[in-house]
Amino acid sequence: MNDYFEEIGAWPGESRIARSYAIGFAFSLVATIAAYALTLTHALPPRALIAAIFALAGAQILAQLAYFLHLGSASGARMRTIALIVTFGIVSILVAGSLWIMATLNSRMMPSQNQMIDYMQNESGL
Amino acid sequence: MNDQSLQLTVETRAKDITTVFGFWAYLMTDFVLFASLFATFAVLRTDTAATAHLFNLRFTLLETVILLSSSFTCGLALLAAHGSSRTGVLRALAATALLGAAFVGLEVSEFAKLVAAGSAPAASGFLSAYFTLVGTHGLHVAIGIVWMLALTTAIALRGLSRSNMRKLLLLSLFWHFLDIVWICIFTIVYLMPFV
Repeated sequence: MNDYFEEIGAWPGESRIARSYAIGFAFSLVATIAAYALTLTHALPPRALIAAIFALAGAQILAQLAYFLHLGSASGARMRTIALIVTFGIVSILVAGSLWIMATLNSRMMPSQNQMIDYMQNESGL
Repeated sequence: MNDQSLQLTVETRAKDITTVFGFWAYLMTDFVLFASLFATFAVLRTDTAATAHLFNLRFTLLETVILLSSSFTCGLALLAAHGSSRTGVLRALAATALLGAAFVGLEVSEFAKLVAAGSAPAASGFLSAYFTLVGTHGLHVAIGIVWMLALTTAIALRGLSRSNMRKLLLLSLFWHFLDIVWICIFTIVYLMPFV
């Protein structure tokens, strides 16, 4: 027996660590099988099904962050949790921004020479 | 009863805490890397439903359960280390490495099948993005297995020293992180086309 992981804040504020891994594993297994089962059986209409599998994925991620990686607000884990949240903010801008740019890219391109001539001859204004 | 040899001084404790956070900072950059690969994949997949014919959900479910189980056995390795059981750690790491190798093996066979059927990475923008995203994750898992073998050897030879305990912890952060990335992959890449 040793306290190394507790001493360096890897297992902050938890007294029953074995339960933590068991709960995380069980929850993840259920969420995984549920997502695959719902999709394979088409149990829900498309929009609801997408929402369901994303919700299950989100829940499983949070469960693994809590029960496998021991993230949270306990003092040993706090900095790692904050770092994750900040990175998630950066990632959100990166992903949402990329999708937005790529979807609107064509409309933001300068017209070709022919398009400009055509426009000037047939249209007025901007 | 506590393992006296792992008593930390103020300096070594602070150093190890800093090292763990530094490795976590690296994992955050990996998070950004995978996010950019996901964004690229999302842009290049113009017809989600049309990609369904490439994949087999039961096969992906098998891969998923294997990787999830390996994440659990990795936790068992930390629990064994907490109990100062060298054999327990070695057994759990061996199980984790075997499951990880099974995952990589299955993924490589899936890639080979796609290439043989003409769906090579260069065949389309979507396939380039698919192989890059899933391949990068698989490469991370493979490197993790190499690391695991090296650490297993170190623990077998030198036991659960402070240094090996720290390395075991870092490896477990890496391994759990990869399972979390896989959750995003199987949901977005594999499940969505079948909705």
